[in-house]
Amino acid sequence: MYLIKKNDVKKIAKALEEKYTLYGPYLDEAFGQCFFDKVSADNIDLNAPIPANPPKHVVFPHLETIMQYKYDKNAKKADIAMVFDDVPKALFGLRSCDLTGLQCIDRFFLGQEFVDEVYRHHRSRMFIVANTCVVPFKQCFCVCTDSGPAAQEGYDLNLTDLGDSYLLEVGSEKGKAFIESFNFPKATQEHVTQKQKLVEKSITMFEDIATESKAWVSRVMNRVTTGFIKEEVWEYIGNQCIECGACSYVCPTCTCFNINDANTIAGNTERLRTWDSCSYEGYSRMAGGHNPRKPIEDRRNKRFFCKLSYSQSKKYLRPGCVGCGRCAWVCPGDIGLPNVVTYIRREIHE
Amino acid sequence: MSEQKIVTVPEIATIEEIKDEIVDVKTFYLRFDNKEIDGNFTFKSGQFIMCTVFGAGEFAVSLPPSPENDRFHITVRRIGKVTNALHDLQVGDKVGIRGPFGNGFPFEEIKGKNVIYVAGGIGLIPLRSSIVHVLQHRNDFGRILLLYGSRSPQDLMYQYMLEQWQKIEGFETFITVDNGTPEWKGNVGIITTLFDKVEIPVENTVAFVCGPPVMFNAVIKELMQRGIKDDMIISTLERHMKCGVGKCQHCAIGRTLVCTDGPVYTYRQIKTLGEQI
Amino acid sequence: MSYMPGVCTFCGTGCGHYLKVDGTSVQGVFPSRVHPVSKGRLCVRGWNIHELLSTQERIIRPYVKDSGQVSYKDAIAKLVSALSLYKPEEIAFYASPRSSNEDNFALMKLARLVFKTNNISLQAESGHRNSLDVLYNGTGFAGMLGSLEDIRKAEVLIVAGMDITTQNPIIGSELHYAARSGSLLITIDSRMTKIAKLSKKFINCKPGTMRMVFDAIAYYIDKQQWGDTKSAHYEEYKKYLATVPFDSIEKETGVLPAEVAFVAERLIKAKSAAVFFSSGISGLSYDTVASIYNLFALAGKIGKEGCGVNPIAGINNLQGSFDMGCAPDLLTGYQSIDDATSKKKFEKKWGQELPTFKGKTVEQLLSDSSSPLKALVIVDHDDGIVKYADRLKSLPFVAYIGAFTNKVVDFAHVVLPITTYIETDGTFTNTERRVQLASQKCAPAFDVMPMWKLIDAIAEAKSIPFNYKSASDVMDEIASLTPAYEGISYTLLSKKHGVQWPCTKKNHDGTKYCVPEKVSFVLPHKPYAAVQATQEYPYLLMLGKAQHYWHQNNIMHKTFIPLREYNATLLLYPDGYVAIAPEDAKQIGVRDRWPVKVVAEKASMKAMVMISDDVAPGTAYVPYFIREGIASFLLAYSDIVSQGEEATIPVRIEKV
Repeated sequence: MYLIKKNDVKKIAKALEEKYTLYGPYLDEAFGQCFFDKVSADNIDLNAPIPANPPKHVVFPHLETIMQYKYDKNAKKADIAMVFDDVPKALFGLRSCDLTGLQCIDRFFLGQEFVDEVYRHHRSRMFIVANTCVVPFKQCFCVCTDSGPAAQEGYDLNLTDLGDSYLLEVGSEKGKAFIESFNFPKATQEHVTQKQKLVEKSITMFEDIATESKAWVSRVMNRVTTGFIKEEVWEYIGNQCIECGACSYVCPTCTCFNINDANTIAGNTERLRTWDSCSYEGYSRMAGGHNPRKPIEDRRNKRFFCKLSYSQSKKYLRPGCVGCGRCAWVCPGDIGLPNVVTYIRREIHE
Repeated sequence: MSEQKIVTVPEIATIEEIKDEIVDVKTFYLRFDNKEIDGNFTFKSGQFIMCTVFGAGEFAVSLPPSPENDRFHITVRRIGKVTNALHDLQVGDKVGIRGPFGNGFPFEEIKGKNVIYVAGGIGLIPLRSSIVHVLQHRNDFGRILLLYGSRSPQDLMYQYMLEQWQKIEGFETFITVDNGTPEWKGNVGIITTLFDKVEIPVENTVAFVCGPPVMFNAVIKELMQRGIKDDMIISTLERHMKCGVGKCQHCAIGRTLVCTDGPVYTYRQIKTLGEQI
Repeated sequence: MSYMPGVCTFCGTGCGHYLKVDGTSVQGVFPSRVHPVSKGRLCVRGWNIHELLSTQERIIRPYVKDSGQVSYKDAIAKLVSALSLYKPEEIAFYASPRSSNEDNFALMKLARLVFKTNNISLQAESGHRNSLDVLYNGTGFAGMLGSLEDIRKAEVLIVAGMDITTQNPIIGSELHYAARSGSLLITIDSRMTKIAKLSKKFINCKPGTMRMVFDAIAYYIDKQQWGDTKSAHYEEYKKYLATVPFDSIEKETGVLPAEVAFVAERLIKAKSAAVFFSSGISGLSYDTVASIYNLFALAGKIGKEGCGVNPIAGINNLQGSFDMGCAPDLLTGYQSIDDATSKKKFEKKWGQELPTFKGKTVEQLLSDSSSPLKALVIVDHDDGIVKYADRLKSLPFVAYIGAFTNKVVDFAHVVLPITTYIETDGTFTNTERRVQLASQKCAPAFDVMPMWKLIDAIAEAKSIPFNYKSASDVMDEIASLTPAYEGISYTLLSKKHGVQWPCTKKNHDGTKYCVPEKVSFVLPHKPYAAVQATQEYPYLLMLGKAQHYWHQNNIMHKTFIPLREYNATLLLYPDGYVAIAPEDAKQIGVRDRWPVKVVAEKASMKAMVMISDDVAPGTAYVPYFIREGIASFLLAYSDIVSQGEEATIPVRIEKV
């Protein structure tokens, strides 16, 4: 644990930049939207609001070539090569919800029967610096899903803004080895208490929808798992869905993908992996035309099942929702996760 | 025996023979180019592979009972972009194979039981491997019945096998078609009409059911009415699949993934999946 | 920092997005949270636009039939020498409603100034033109009167016969948002659409009777003397309203008099109200748009905040393409070529006289076998034009200008590749008159020219150089010739999420809602002619679009997810489908996905049955996507099809 000056933060980022491709939050020059993406140490903005996009795309890009092959029809010869990206990456200033999301994806891609090699390569040699949210943002409800406002684990380093300085916590051997050479002054128990107070204060600052839903999220999880939710509620939710797929695309834990082979002008073929969403009609349709999940309410129901049911939680070792609130603001309907909780809660009341 | 799985990079296989089955359905006989794999590719009946047609894409297809002469075959219906491209291939062309994936049929658990196969249309393709296995281990099982229905005589799969099977003693085969032709001498009527004509064992009996959803539901109803328990009804489910290894999630039904938990399920499991099948 | 701001180029909503650009490839897309229209949302098309932008199905080299791939110089020389063989009347230009304003302006200038022809038009001509004509005649503004930003300010919102959540989903989302926060959302349609389900009031009218429903509401308002009678031509309008068969309105339209009264009352009571209807291919007829407009003029809902008569364009730059004068009779900004002052202004600026003969649209020229058409230049066109395959094949010269490969290329004698929208600067005018700049995000992936530059090169080869150094130069010329665009420049647009025209030098913020100097009622051209079902043809067939068949979209084929979604219904109903009500299906004796024959007086087609609660008994619905059977059926009824959403054909449905 160290206590560092505000401008020491940039020093750390710069040092990371030398060994890693640096990713972090920055404000878009044109219109001020915050993104989490490749960035130079100078442009990282730790005070920026929660990035519009979760860091998912660093390890699981929107569109990515996972395999290349060339098939010579005449010679009957096929050359196949996997495409892996194992450039070391440093994620700097990750918010607790997004870090939790990353851990969920880790458990899903790496911790099941099969390991996803493409993901493993992206994820290997990664350095993570988390950033405590001393002030929650408007959309946040991580207090409902036990994923914030301060990161508990999974980081190499964690930063907390104490006002005039930063508390720097070390979360791994890798983090320890990296930070030792800086010879930063050690922090004391007093600073830890200060951080705890800030986090506790932060928890009181959440919007009503988050604080009111706190107990309800777990009750709704129980309902979703046991199936005690009326068809009409799903229908009401389904009617508002325009099948844009946005909720899946901005979700830090959604990992569904589609695979397609695309022929290039150069004459070879690229196997592309693209994000997919269970809200799309074509998602579960089979080649013969049979679609087991045709009505939109069945598809919506599936997504919330995935985020909230216990059986899915087993895969992630926690709920599939990390309370970042992004689905709520990209939804053209009104069926972001907090609202779905409200709808189900309303039904329970009735 | 450790099972070798090709998970990430497809292994190249050559099409050695193509056999026309019915309209738009062909069987492709394949052999791996890599000699090490060629001799060691083992799988369980009921499992499936992912097959890459170069330049078109990849699709999931069920496997035969066991490799014959080191080669294996897949029976594929021309139905989408990729299967269309496969149908256009010739003997000597290459495809890419990953697998085998999935759980396979539970032959150990059903030893000593009567076995009823109920198949509709191309639903016979995945059941064929089970039938062949059971016939090969004839003494492990009681009565063996096949109830098979298709839309018309032209739509009957594996006609050459059906003829062979009909000759096998102790293998009771019943075939029906929805719409007969003047040449058709057999049963006419949907598959459930066979249930009134056949004396079906109930005690100590396991039923394998595979076919289109409408047929599936009707058959399940018939079987249950006759007293066959839901955990004694076995089916292989079909889903849209992209990865085969439980990652893309397209094949999710409720909390299970057909590619890793399936494709073979009992009806008791299917009922609790919480989704339509 | 690879997320770069831009404008989604799929539909007329003009949502703001960020593209993740790495080198020359687009790796992803993200919505813009601060964009005034889309506010952080995108639809299925918008969320997957990177798949299109990163496709390799591009035209990468100029091509001349018989010579193969050639240099730009040779291809341009071939084009110029070929076009020089024909008289102006024999040459036509088919502009694309997806091209940027700069590209379309340059093309329009090329047609009129260099090749002296007025034969220039857009695909999706009729629908939007009808809306523009009505609004121009009524208010002097040829564009949507209201604003998408103002939707939440309207107390009453009416959606007229438009499946808006599938066609322009984000506008649908705004309507839904407004309805949730208290606005009264009314849908008047012959089909139960998603927006109808989200509406507080759904009024189900018989197909083809929308005009009468709107007139009936106006009749009721007028009868109660609630209306604004000061607008011009009121007396004539009142006379017209007297022809509304109000006493038999339920029999004629299926709408109850109480429903008419309800809408009338709420419309009058509300401080603000806006109406939305489809424009473009599936747009409404002139008379129906006039009825909708007149109702709003009578209700005093024009020229105020939160009010608007709003035609919604399905294609990203349909409004802008008309603004750029891509029509036989128009110069930029709806200035008529027959207007001597406007024409003189252009001639003075361009230094040459403009053609005087009356131009025709390309559709008119292609469908009329006796037309003098000999040479056609097509820009970035959908496969839809292939329905004129025979005529195209018989033309002595066809040129194609576009970025992506396409079936139309097969007909071309000269093919000229251009950049995609990320590889050059360009402005696009969305359905609410918002002119937005999409700046260049990367160098062209292949050695290809932007269209404005290519057009200039063609002009230069004809010794009339335009001397454009950048797309910005083109915009400056547009601004100097177009009053509505007068204040617009790249400097202004680079700092904003677009600006809504009219934008003058004095008013750089543009115009959110149009305040006309004078409001006139617009008199319809024709009396009512509602199509009636007969004993022989008992079903009224409606035509429409479904989200993923989005205007027969050639570009969709270059994506994965949108293509799959497009295919979802298409594969389920491979020969197209005809949606009918469950009770009708029972009567005909068919089940879902059974093949049927749809027989009308002049033509018939095969389709599969889709049983749907969304269509009312006695009606049938066919989405017009490309399937040969349906295309030829539509061709036989092209006069009716041109009525768009209102197109109604009595048919019978036979089991096969």
